Amino acid sequence: MNLSTHIGGLALENPVIAASGTFGYGEEYIKAGDVSWFGAVSIKGTTIAPRAGNPPPRTCETPSGLLNSIGLENPGARVVIGQKLPWLARFSVPIIANISAVSCEEFSELAGMFAKSPHVSALEVNVSCPNVKAGGIAFGTSADMCYEATRAVRKAWKGPLIVKLTPNVADMRAIAKAAVEGGADALSLINTLVGMAIDIHSMRPVLGNITGGLSGPAIKPVALRCVWEVSQAVSVPVIGMGGICSATDALEFIMAGASAVAIGTGLLIDPELPRKVTQGIKEYCESRGIESLQEIVGAAWR
Amino acid sequence: MDLRQIHDVDARIVRLSNIRGNLYSMCLEAPEIARTAKPMQFVNIALGDSTDPLLRRPFSLSGIHPDRGTIGITWAVVGRGTQIMAGWQAGRSVRVLGPLGNGLGIDRLCIDHGLVLVAGGTGIAPLTPLASQALEKEAELQVFYGARSASELLDTGDLGAACMVHLATEDGSVGFGGLVTGLLEARLSAGALGNGRPTVVSCGPKPMLNHVKQICNRHGLPLLVSLEARMACGYGVCQGCVVPRAGGKQGYYRVCTDGPVFRAEDIELGECTG
Repeated sequence: MNLSTHIGGLALENPVIAASGTFGYGEEYIKAGDVSWFGAVSIKGTTIAPRAGNPPPRTCETPSGLLNSIGLENPGARVVIGQKLPWLARFSVPIIANISAVSCEEFSELAGMFAKSPHVSALEVNVSCPNVKAGGIAFGTSADMCYEATRAVRKAWKGPLIVKLTPNVADMRAIAKAAVEGGADALSLINTLVGMAIDIHSMRPVLGNITGGLSGPAIKPVALRCVWEVSQAVSVPVIGMGGICSATDALEFIMAGASAVAIGTGLLIDPELPRKVTQGIKEYCESRGIESLQEIVGAAWR
Repeated sequence: MDLRQIHDVDARIVRLSNIRGNLYSMCLEAPEIARTAKPMQFVNIALGDSTDPLLRRPFSLSGIHPDRGTIGITWAVVGRGTQIMAGWQAGRSVRVLGPLGNGLGIDRLCIDHGLVLVAGGTGIAPLTPLASQALEKEAELQVFYGARSASELLDTGDLGAACMVHLATEDGSVGFGGLVTGLLEARLSAGALGNGRPTVVSCGPKPMLNHVKQICNRHGLPLLVSLEARMACGYGVCQGCVVPRAGGKQGYYRVCTDGPVFRAEDIELGECTG
């Protein structure tokens, strides 16, 4: 059974990716899991300058979901490129560098910085973070801005280019097409849905940042619908994510049109989930005589 | 090469008991965790196969028994997760991820200068393995322990026979009448510790930790505090459970992996979560 897949020029041994922001840079993860279980890993969203992140509380559990407002806490591109990536590269698993910026100029500069690292297999442009005041989601909610940001990165980065999209828009297909026109080789979807929770005892929002991004099984049906729509609207591969907690969940995304899947919130609950999901996909395919994963990508609409 | 130090195990509940009121404790068969766990570390317990509640729940270890291959936790029912756990029975298997957090061992300093533990409410639970280790290594040990009333004091077991245990209850039903911090201050001012400079380790509600910090500052005693926080992953990847750094330093520490034990001067206690 062949589990390998391709994401815009990036070859993966298996279709399971660590979603950005739930894997850090691997240093903590290796104490609980094995990096080699993943087909690729997407590092914590990185900005040019270090960011301290948002004031706590930063997380709140909701029915089958998790709200977070971490706020892109990261040590900055220089530290990531100089220290984190060389360390992570030892595991020989493709590294996807997730980057976030407040302007096209910054996106271009960041892409240029990562282009000099020998350890980056692909860039993932984060135009969908709901938890930062400037930049972030703003780039992902306008087709024009998404096009410009993607183009800025495309000019500075020759390798596989992934754009991570937000579902907090009227029609993701328009934004997706803009990203592809701007030079995206693949699309990641979905980032979190903007939400909030209120503490009735203090009569205040639970999160320090007031709003946060909703993830987990609660958003899976929305994410599946997005993958279904976008994968049929564009010609580039789609990485599907949103509440994947089992091989069944992953298979649903693949059949909706995803060429690979990412695990985020599920990883927070079970560090061994990537191994279980890959194994489950393999068993499903073997039991049905499916020889290659590619046979079932988009099976639900093909 | 397997670099894993944190195990996700199917742990059988050996014993689960309702201590009284909303207080519960259980003993779990988890040899992989018991073998390497240090005092003040914690485990993240899955509530079942359902996605609601979604996240695991973090609990400090109130017992570590490598010889028997068991660990213990003690909890108060404060929400849905702890309520679900209260309904479990011995024999059931639960998923337990651990050991997590930095933990605290008894070092040379503690052995030479002694140890003072200050606990409020269920805060005594994580200090129990530390106290046992201190006694094993023959470090001088004193325990200050307070709760609202006698009925809320947890059993300190064999500690009372092996070291000084100073009890305080807010309603005066047992021991000193008032807060445990009032008792600590009174004993320190009366010279109870002589000229020694023991390390103080404290676990309990945030206002109590703040008060202990002020007292230790006044008496020039080093203080370590163990924090509680709502956590998502518990193993350092999500950056959700943070506490602000003190001393004009920018940024945050993660309670789950930088802590839960911190030097009091390193963190802003006024703003921590949970």
